Amino acid sequence: MLSCVGCPVLSRVLSSGASRVPAVAASRVPAASTSLNAGSSVALVRYNTTAQQEKPKKTKFGPLADQDRIFTNLYGRHDWRLKGALSRGDWYKTKEILEKGVDWILNEIKVSGLRGRGGAGFPTGMKWGFMNKPSDGRPKYLVVNADEGEPGTCKDREIMRHDPHKLVEGCLVAGRAMGARAAYIYIRGEFYNESSNLQVAINEAYGAGLIGKNACGSGYDFDVFVMRGAGAYICGEETALIESIEGKQGKPRLKPPFPADVGVFGCPTTVANVETVSVAPTICRRGGTWFASFGRERNSGTKLFNISGHVNNPCTVEEEMSIPIKELIERHAGGVRGGWDNLLCVIPGGSSTPLIPRHVCDDVMMDFDALIQAQTGLGTAALIVMDKSTDVIRAIARLIEFYKHESCGQCTPCREGVDWMNKMMWRFVKGDARAAEIDMIWELSKQIEGHTICALGDGAAWPVQGLIRHFRPIMESRIADFQQKQQARA
Amino acid sequence: MLRLPAVGRALAGAAHSKGCLTASSNVRTSVRASSNLVEVFVDGKPVMVEPGTTVLQACEKVGVQIPRFCYHERLSVAGNCRMCLLEIERAPKVMCSHNYSTLDCSSCRPWKGIFGHPVAACAMPVMKGWNILTNSEKTRKAREGVMEFLLANHPLDCPICDQGGECDLQDQSMMFGSDRSRFTEGKRAVEDKNIGPLIKTIMTRCIQCTRCVRFASEIAGVEDLGTTGRGNSMQIGTYVEKMFMSELSGNVIDVCPVGALTSKPYAFTSRPWETRKTESIDVLDAVGSNIVVSTRGGEVMRILPRLNEDVNEEWISDKTRFAYDGLKRQRLTQPMVKDASGQLVPTNWEDALMRIAAMLQGVKGSEIAAIAGGMVDAESLIALKDMLNKLDSEALCTEELFPMAGAGTDLRSNYLLNTRIAGIEECDLLLLIGTNPRYEAPLFNARVRKSWLHNELQVALVGHDVDLSYSYNHLGDSTQVLKDLATGKHPYCQVLAQAKRPVVVVGSSCLQRADGAAILSAVSTIAQNARVSSGVEEGWKVLNVLHRVASQVAALDVGYKPGVEAIRKNPPKMLFLLGADAGCITRADLPKDSFIIYQGHHGDVGALMADVILPGAAYTEKNGTYVNTEGRAQQTRVAVTPPGMAREDWKIIRAVSETPHVGVTLPYDTLEEVRDRLAEVAPNLVRYDDVEEANYFKQANELSQAVNQSLLADPLVPPQLSVKDFYMTDPISRASQTMAKCVKAVTEGAEAVEEPAIC
Amino acid sequence: MGEYVNLVRRAFGQITGHGGIRGFLLQLFRANDVKTGALIGIDKYGNKYYEDNRYFFGRHRWVIYTTEMNGKRTVWDVDGSMVPAEWHRWLHCMTDDPPTTHPPEPKKFLAKVHQFNMSGTSGCYVPYSTTAKKIHEWVPPKVGQQ
Repeated sequence: MLSCVGCPVLSRVLSSGASRVPAVAASRVPAASTSLNAGSSVALVRYNTTAQQEKPKKTKFGPLADQDRIFTNLYGRHDWRLKGALSRGDWYKTKEILEKGVDWILNEIKVSGLRGRGGAGFPTGMKWGFMNKPSDGRPKYLVVNADEGEPGTCKDREIMRHDPHKLVEGCLVAGRAMGARAAYIYIRGEFYNESSNLQVAINEAYGAGLIGKNACGSGYDFDVFVMRGAGAYICGEETALIESIEGKQGKPRLKPPFPADVGVFGCPTTVANVETVSVAPTICRRGGTWFASFGRERNSGTKLFNISGHVNNPCTVEEEMSIPIKELIERHAGGVRGGWDNLLCVIPGGSSTPLIPRHVCDDVMMDFDALIQAQTGLGTAALIVMDKSTDVIRAIARLIEFYKHESCGQCTPCREGVDWMNKMMWRFVKGDARAAEIDMIWELSKQIEGHTICALGDGAAWPVQGLIRHFRPIMESRIADFQQKQQARA
Repeated sequence: MLRLPAVGRALAGAAHSKGCLTASSNVRTSVRASSNLVEVFVDGKPVMVEPGTTVLQACEKVGVQIPRFCYHERLSVAGNCRMCLLEIERAPKVMCSHNYSTLDCSSCRPWKGIFGHPVAACAMPVMKGWNILTNSEKTRKAREGVMEFLLANHPLDCPICDQGGECDLQDQSMMFGSDRSRFTEGKRAVEDKNIGPLIKTIMTRCIQCTRCVRFASEIAGVEDLGTTGRGNSMQIGTYVEKMFMSELSGNVIDVCPVGALTSKPYAFTSRPWETRKTESIDVLDAVGSNIVVSTRGGEVMRILPRLNEDVNEEWISDKTRFAYDGLKRQRLTQPMVKDASGQLVPTNWEDALMRIAAMLQGVKGSEIAAIAGGMVDAESLIALKDMLNKLDSEALCTEELFPMAGAGTDLRSNYLLNTRIAGIEECDLLLLIGTNPRYEAPLFNARVRKSWLHNELQVALVGHDVDLSYSYNHLGDSTQVLKDLATGKHPYCQVLAQAKRPVVVVGSSCLQRADGAAILSAVSTIAQNARVSSGVEEGWKVLNVLHRVASQVAALDVGYKPGVEAIRKNPPKMLFLLGADAGCITRADLPKDSFIIYQGHHGDVGALMADVILPGAAYTEKNGTYVNTEGRAQQTRVAVTPPGMAREDWKIIRAVSETPHVGVTLPYDTLEEVRDRLAEVAPNLVRYDDVEEANYFKQANELSQAVNQSLLADPLVPPQLSVKDFYMTDPISRASQTMAKCVKAVTEGAEAVEEPAIC
Repeated sequence: MGEYVNLVRRAFGQITGHGGIRGFLLQLFRANDVKTGALIGIDKYGNKYYEDNRYFFGRHRWVIYTTEMNGKRTVWDVDGSMVPAEWHRWLHCMTDDPPTTHPPEPKKFLAKVHQFNMSGTSGCYVPYSTTAKKIHEWVPPKVGQQ
């Protein structure tokens, strides 16, 4: 998911917001510390305060108990159709949830501390709350971002092919929370089986009266449409996705106006990730406090982690937030190929987050704030593990080539800069460069970062920055080797 | 998707949206929010602006120019060049539109800007208390970075680039760019595209600002241009190989900030610093677009638009821009007389004038007549009229017809575009009758499209079904529709009755029909009914006539009779053609021994039938007064001297009047004296850039009731139906090779036009 | 003494050698010189060619132009180009063999009839302009072709 690349920035928002908060939040801190399941305003304040971090309530995170798993058919061992979904507890008392009303649902989501699972980690309750402005006559829409294109990420497709009813029910609950008339699920074009399963699930839900006119008998009309993309990574950016749904070229729009004001077809829209939407019904059934009991403060909940690369058993697994990265890899992925000492680095959040070397991985936790402190980001929580056999410069060069290919070409810095970085990176792979050019590419990446309409430019800049931050000596030695070889030849 | 009425209405209140940004900046809307200004600071200087103003506009308000490439104040905001990035300091605790403190609300994603990253000034609406830093370290760094990226793939061919000297990229890289290049990789190259005989493309120079794409889809109303590919291989083009077919296409040359789109006829001919610029007026249609004539060494090099918000904004039509090469061909450079064999031979002025004088001997005043053509200035019109009147002749007429039954041309409001061009932006319903404004008056049509796009103007058309670049309600092309509309029987009358500010525009071509008076009478009734039902204030004008030639309004103002019917009925012995090239009168209409004098600047229809030719000056060669279809007097200025022995037209007539047997020497010797005489006849003609009010619709309508003429059954078909009829309409454009190429390109395809291999 | 006799004889010869006073004056005004020499030959136009080797090199051969050539009076209006090609060689000392004793080979490029130099007249050669015309004037159609 592209939107993941916004995450470190956002967290910078939050942390700098937090650092200047004492004056602002001083009056609210007592309220926040006394009760977790208080009103929504308290939940809001929680994200702005660091007061809690000084005395963490919980120090051990993970492993997740089986009864606390939300996605119980992640591996497709059971029936994914309506019958199987009902047996796993989906669509259970959905009508009652809907009848509790908008405020109740929003409150549960806020209490749960759920943050967007697409990468940026924006507090979901707050985001959905933006939609509840007085209506001006336009319908509102929920758009589900199922354009999962981030390299290394494979969580949404597991949900859609093995648990599609979770998503469909999530659309209904989330749609109710924001008063949406319909949901558009924008699914990546390459996900053929996933979209087909999803469509079957939607048809089943319509057939059973769970969605459509008078959804679940609650008197609320709600439609779900599936829209297949055509294979552009940039269409995972929320405004580009909206453009694509409208039938235009998938190029990000300027913000403001934000989708909450002018979204798909000019109507107020919220774009949410598949995982975010899919966990909403379970949160409503089991309560926001239950969800908030996992993970650290401000990083609560369970999360799907994708572990790929040089591990013995690559997998997608649901785990508690804030689980240490080492435990995650060793417990679920069978450890790094050749043992932990053979680890070179990990890209912790999908291709657009900066990599972290082994010594950082030793004790970092997998959550938004801990990874920000490690100068990277949680992103989509897709770990790309690289052992010492990896040519890390080549690996990053390949990522930059991907971004160069997927840049939409609107903004100058991204269009020209990423292409430039790509050409330079492949020279670095050979060592055909000067040592001063390492500083230059760092500067170029800084010229791209934050200067574009969407976050793709940032996502392309960060891997390079991570590489230079942690592997500069390797780059320098390769340049020296190359120059030596050239001299020998001459 | 450009025009979304429902959304537009819904967004009218929303502070920030793409549509609103443009709407608030340059579209006249009747209601304007002026309350609750917000205070922002530009480099510490406070300024009060309306909510929804962009950062760039706020800076402009205090006189700080922000560098930009993609932003154009008449186009929608794209925000993709990133040249206008600015650092913004924010007041710490301000509530945002989501009712959160702006420090908390991450949905207000200015967080990029707030927390260190610069924002795009062209797209970001200001919020209260912002301090915009237009020259801080971070701002300068951001500009330099963007400039470096822009130049990375931009070819270094400024010395052979036609944009050199007037290139935004050149200027801004001098101002804001770095002094050296770090780019050592290979540069990108893009294949050039053939988009017609007017616009030359050098696509490698393109910086993908998409101004041309937005111009085409928003102003010109054709979806011909667009982007293909993505990332670094993104290209601007026409998707498939075709011509960019629009009557306003030349404006993309001005809009393009680099040399990617340049003028094909002007290619490699001159540099902007070599040319002398003369501010003038276009006379190839009745709009009177304001132009700048660039000349070098007594030669017109090119014609550019000049800003005039009331007439042409900053656009001009392709005919205006590219027909200038017609000024250099087929010119009459020396007087000619017919010799004994009937062959026209060049001679000197004395001989030609004496020949006229000799022929005048023994001709009575009533046997002399004159016809004025479509591009004649008011000075020569008045001089000719004075001379003939002194010779006791009243037979002065124009080529263009206007029905004289009813009020005729006695009431000025009867033959003007009374609402004015800019007034179209204030109306809510426009009824076009028997006209195709897209080709008769392209700038008027562009104004209608602008109003249609931003102000939700409703348009209806009676006449031939033509492509106007906006959607309209086609009511049919028969005169029966007019009759029904006038009597209130037509279903559209209900829509018409609901209009708050209706406008009716009738094309001058349909008034030339045999039943012109009846049509005008019907239109007058429709307009009067619409006025009554709308209850609009007294100053609002409903009835409009859209003329096609530049001289018509001035000619009617000084008292010429419209139409040559009188001359056909009463053939004169001596006929004076003043630039009359429409071919209304032929030799066959006149007695065998009649003597024809042609005065004009081109060897066209009129010169062919003349016995004596007096070479006059074209509009770039004289100080002339022209009155456009609104009744706005404007003047052309001398950009180059008339070629050869040609002279300013009023001076020629003054010389003719002085010759022995004529002997009615006109009492003026200087331009000022001629204009004094003009002011005596019609004072509005010398009140330049001013529109004289005319408002006698009720009386005109009453008089038109007396018209005893019935409508013919023929459908209302304007003469210019498709784009190929647009390019060659007058002696200048008929002599233009560029216009001939355009006609060939639109009929046979762009590839049919052969271009030189270089370029 | 003999020198002086010779001098007087030469002076007398120069005065009388042109056909009397009239001839002497004509020669003086036409050629600005009255020297006499051996007549080497007369070309087909009537130009007379003389030689007198007592004069120093460069002044020892000369031509007295004919008075009428190709229909043009050339008493006063003479021109260097009136010398035909075959005599030009001898006159300019490119050879010592006059065409009277050594007739030249006929050459294709030699003009049969002499052409006057047109420089300075309306018939002179003017190269065509390489600059494009700024204004193309209208050319009225020829009568009968309309």
